[in-house]
Amino acid sequence: MQHKGSSESFPGTPKARARNPETSSEDASEVLNRTEHERPLAAALAARFARRRGGSLARRLFLTAAAITVIVLGLSGVVLSSLYRETAERALDRYLNVYLKNIVVDVATAPTGTIPDPTSLSEPLFQTPNSGWYWQIEWLSGPTSKMKFSPSLPEPGLASLDEQRIPIRSDGFREGYIGGPEGQRLRVVENLIDLGSDGQYVVTVAANIAETEEEIASFNWTLFITLFLLGAVFVATAWFQVRFGLRPLGRISQSLHAIRTGRAERLEGNFPAEIEPLAREVNALIDTNRDIVIRARTHVGNLAHALKTPLSVLLNETSGKQDATAEKVREQVAVMREQVQHHLERARIAARVAVPGTVVDVDSVVDGVVRTMEKIHRDRGVRIISDVEGEINFHGEEQDLAEMVGNLVDNACKWAKSRVEIRARPEPGPQVERAFLRVIVDDDGPGLSAEARQEVLTHRGKRLDESKPGSGLGLSIVSDLAHLYQGRLELGASPAGGLRAELVLPRAS
Amino acid sequence: MRLLVVEDDPDLNRQICAALTDAGYAVDKAFDGEEGHYLGENEPYDAVVLDLGLPKMDGISVLESWRRAGKQMPVLILTARDRWSEKVQGFDAGADDYVAKPFHMEEVLARIRALLRRSTGHASSELVCGPVHLDTRTSRVTVDGNPVRLTSHEYRLLAYLMHHHGRVVSRTELVEHLYDQDFDRDSNTIEVFVGRLRKKLGVDVIETIRGLGYRLSQPANAT
Repeated sequence: MQHKGSSESFPGTPKARARNPETSSEDASEVLNRTEHERPLAAALAARFARRRGGSLARRLFLTAAAITVIVLGLSGVVLSSLYRETAERALDRYLNVYLKNIVVDVATAPTGTIPDPTSLSEPLFQTPNSGWYWQIEWLSGPTSKMKFSPSLPEPGLASLDEQRIPIRSDGFREGYIGGPEGQRLRVVENLIDLGSDGQYVVTVAANIAETEEEIASFNWTLFITLFLLGAVFVATAWFQVRFGLRPLGRISQSLHAIRTGRAERLEGNFPAEIEPLAREVNALIDTNRDIVIRARTHVGNLAHALKTPLSVLLNETSGKQDATAEKVREQVAVMREQVQHHLERARIAARVAVPGTVVDVDSVVDGVVRTMEKIHRDRGVRIISDVEGEINFHGEEQDLAEMVGNLVDNACKWAKSRVEIRARPEPGPQVERAFLRVIVDDDGPGLSAEARQEVLTHRGKRLDESKPGSGLGLSIVSDLAHLYQGRLELGASPAGGLRAELVLPRAS
Repeated sequence: MRLLVVEDDPDLNRQICAALTDAGYAVDKAFDGEEGHYLGENEPYDAVVLDLGLPKMDGISVLESWRRAGKQMPVLILTARDRWSEKVQGFDAGADDYVAKPFHMEEVLARIRALLRRSTGHASSELVCGPVHLDTRTSRVTVDGNPVRLTSHEYRLLAYLMHHHGRVVSRTELVEHLYDQDFDRDSNTIEVFVGRLRKKLGVDVIETIRGLGYRLSQPANAT
């Protein structure tokens, strides 16, 4: 089913492609052959997809924060870097323009047709060969042209910006980049001076931009490091926020687990304003659920108990009669009685699962049971001794503890010759998950053989003690109940010669 | 022996009363807690069969109220609620025994017999006074091993005397414990029954204590 569902729901899977009429028949058959091998993979992917669909709230918040951080910081980096580059270039251009203006003044004051030596430029860098600082003056007059350039510039002068098709602005200036001597990259500012009939001068000043580039690179590196650290801090903060912010959710989840396993009754403690309503609603839901279960249990109990009176009437009506009708009625009454008892027990179990137990004082329950047993078995002359060590509390329902202890002691009293001993102790040993207590009931009766003891614990519901009055199901009921509480009933030999029944049950601290 | 049955279900009440009457008891009946409580507090019953789920006043309250008022008659609780916690509650309220519904009538009869026997200090269900034997289980009376046929009133009289064997029992006490409340009481009839009983038993075990009442004792010539 899983395979079929997954391959049909994804159009890209082999089966879907095989159905495509545009696919050639050869492809189709090949694809069909592959289908067998690829199906598990598709199924696995589908399962993975299904599992991931719910996703993680933490991951969602964290990834969003991380993505936004990366985008914002990345954009700021780009913007800052280009702004710095522009500023650095403008500073260089300003220098170049100062030199250019000086040369232009020299050119303008020089006699017509000559190219002056721009003496005003005393900058030694223009004298040093391949220094990276260059000027060049070109006189264009008709077909002839003359050129002069700085001593720093080797032949044949600077390359023209014309090759790069950079247009000359209306004020006669244009800027750009060209290659220079020794592989230098030069920033060039050029001014076209039109002197009308005296011809045109093109004055160019160039400077190596390597220095500026270095500065820019250094700035970019610092910027990158700064932004990277900033981003890391942001992402870490986001991670911490998500973890810290979502912690109450984890607490709710733990509390719910505790409720489900019966270690708590409701969501306790203060929750943040955002999930407080959720906790409140969950508690209300738990209360409602409990009410419903208790009401249902009460109704079942009432019904069961209400049926018992008419059953008694029916049973008694047949008493002393031996005809077939009476026999039938007796038999059916027995069936009904069993059914009523069975469903009553089911209802109690259902309620027990839904209603977390309370804390019950073992001593008072044992006392009550002993008082009752002394009255019930007073004709047998059995002494009942009880010894409950300190203050031991059972975690569960008082009625259930009374039922378990009552059945064990009743059983012991039925068989004992003279003495029944009840002891309750906290169970020693590691108490990592839950603490336990142990109730020991000893009698000095005939006891049970090892096989018979095993029989009671494995074949529950078997009537072992039919020879004595009473329901006869006592021990197995105890065993069933103890298992419901994740406890157990152990049977052994008592030092006094009879049966020793030991009840291990969850203890409330 | 005079008993009270407090049970709200009319059919069950009738059945229990019929069974107890057949077993030789004088039986009064009540159908709710208040009525039962009133009767139990004001009439000298030898034992009570008490249902716990009663209208108007529940059985536990009735029982507790009786015990508080100092009423010591044995009480057999009859109830559908048969968990140990409920039994403990019943016994703590002052019950002497417990029968869970649905029950066999024989069970109730046996428990009542045991309660009566215990309350009058007898260990066996067979009461003996010289040659006279009374088996409370079968309601059979024998004298020197020979069965004696008694009417129900004669049987009740003998059973009461034998339960209180050795003690002087007044005529008023006999009237109160042998007849149910609807019976037209006349203490003179007691003398008639005692006379008949003496004749049927044929041995002189019933002694008349003038002005006080009767006493059952072993005949002087008994071995």
